[in-house]
Amino acid sequence: MSRLTTQALTLAYEDRTVVEDLDLAIPDGRVTVIVGPNACGKSTTLRALGRLLKPKSGAVLLDGSELAKLPTKRIAQQIGLLPQTPVAPEAITVADLVSRGRQPHQHWWQQWSDEDERAVTEAMARTDVTDLAERSVDELSGGQRQRVWIAMALAQETDLLLLDEPTTYLDISHQVEVLDLVRQLNHDKGRTVVVVLHDLNQAARYADHLVAMKSGRVVASGPPSEVVTADLVHEVFGLDCVVVPDPVTGSPLVVPGAPWKAA
Amino acid sequence: MSTLADSSAKGSRVRPAGYGVLRTGPAAFLVHRRAVGMGAALLVLLAAASVLYLCVGESFVSPGNVLKVLLGGTSPDELVVEELRLPRLVVALLVGLAFGVAGALVQTVARNPLASPDVIGISQGASALTVAAMTLGVTSYSVLPYLSVAGGILAAALVYLFAWRGGLHATRFVLIGIGFAIALRSVTTLFMTKGDYLVAQQAQIWMTGSLNGRGWPEAEVLGPLLLVLVPAIAWAARAQRNVSLDDDTATALGVRLGRVRLGLVGLGVVLASVATAAAGPVDFVALLAPQIARRMTRTAQIPLVSSALMGALIVVLADLLARRLFSPTELPVGVLTAAVGAPYLIWLIIRSRTVGGSS
Repeated sequence: MSRLTTQALTLAYEDRTVVEDLDLAIPDGRVTVIVGPNACGKSTTLRALGRLLKPKSGAVLLDGSELAKLPTKRIAQQIGLLPQTPVAPEAITVADLVSRGRQPHQHWWQQWSDEDERAVTEAMARTDVTDLAERSVDELSGGQRQRVWIAMALAQETDLLLLDEPTTYLDISHQVEVLDLVRQLNHDKGRTVVVVLHDLNQAARYADHLVAMKSGRVVASGPPSEVVTADLVHEVFGLDCVVVPDPVTGSPLVVPGAPWKAA
Repeated sequence: MSTLADSSAKGSRVRPAGYGVLRTGPAAFLVHRRAVGMGAALLVLLAAASVLYLCVGESFVSPGNVLKVLLGGTSPDELVVEELRLPRLVVALLVGLAFGVAGALVQTVARNPLASPDVIGISQGASALTVAAMTLGVTSYSVLPYLSVAGGILAAALVYLFAWRGGLHATRFVLIGIGFAIALRSVTTLFMTKGDYLVAQQAQIWMTGSLNGRGWPEAEVLGPLLLVLVPAIAWAARAQRNVSLDDDTATALGVRLGRVRLGLVGLGVVLASVATAAAGPVDFVALLAPQIARRMTRTAQIPLVSSALMGALIVVLADLLARRLFSPTELPVGVLTAAVGAPYLIWLIIRSRTVGGSS
């Protein structure tokens, strides 16, 4: 079952078409990872799934209705999205920023409820930022900051969560930490998560459902064990490699060839 | 990573640090505690400054007598306080409030402290049309404010139009605004040199921003207008919170950015233009007040109420100095606000260059 789908979706920035005629179904309750080389249209697709970009033609459907025709606040109650490089207001505190995630559930005359309190507390505990609550976001490390942003998206409490390259700018331990968190969220709450990643190995490791894109088209999609093959990696990334099982998870692991050594 | 959170067991309140919740029936409002404290402190300061304003002048009236007159008692100083100083004080207060709010709103939307109505051409637009009308023989105060508002809105619309390129980029918005401000100033000068000598002189004083001779006629237009706009300002205080995040994040949270921005800027433009109509473009109040207020409250967005009170405080104090500094010669209040504001503006520009543009 898929609540979120696209139909013949074409996306463009002004005259430049980035994604063409895309049919995609995001499986409910799973972690979907969209992967592909730079400028393949993966982030653009994610933006469209989260109505940040209007389709040039075709449509994104949420429960069968066109996203472009739904009130944006109603979408925000169903779909959470964390952009690639979110910008926090100067000097905002962690708790303040996380509480902004409650926006779609509030009205101007109802700015804070027990439900808000619970959601924010839970989101902060889950991402391990409770102790930072009073700190200013400006003074946090990259890893901490990313966890705070994820907490904000979690506080929104949506069934669908879209994350645009959440591991960019993080060192490896923080990358793993963020991706573990994503898996855990999906496992505990059955949330549908869509993540854009550029690291194929991470994608193969954390995805239930993998979508490989190239030049604005889907080249392959399905479980990582079926999708990630040496042929596909060559086709999508133009890289010669060997695919072996990950010694820890058994998921496919891409090991690039070493032409400099052969010579 | 911790796994599960039980908020009730922990019993900790994590509502945004520094905020309190004000509940009345089904409604619940988030209020920034420090901002409330600052607002109260500013109110006290403003009251003190106002009494001082009424005391000081060519003749000194004791605070006791001032209060007596204000409370409706009879006093030999009634004429001086009630007829001469009070009306002008009221205009100063209203103009300051309006500029403070206007600056806060426009700076919020542009996400740039430079983008205040008196820097990006809104006040200049109001001036240009008003001076043009003056030199063409329109001097009635029942017409000029509307022309001023029209001029401000027109200038804002032009800046918006030229700065728009598939989106609103803060830096481009500010730079085009500054360009328009300069162009509109020269238009104003053109009309003044073409106009009648006496009118030109009158326009010149108005242009510098002066409260001399302002009183009930101005207050009668400004007061009700600000009162009518109070619900809009209450809406703006909440809406500001929503536009303080970046575009993508705000949209993802269900904020209708385009509409909210237009609403906030529109309100800011009207307030700045109306205040300009009453006192001329009192430079830099709209620029300074929100920034000082924000530094004092340390809120993530510019606090509206504190900005308004700070604006009023600045204008009242500046006008008090303008009246007394070189007495009996009186300076236009705009000269004093500019003397403080211009160095601050330069500092902002230097700082924004090193930090990288917008903040």
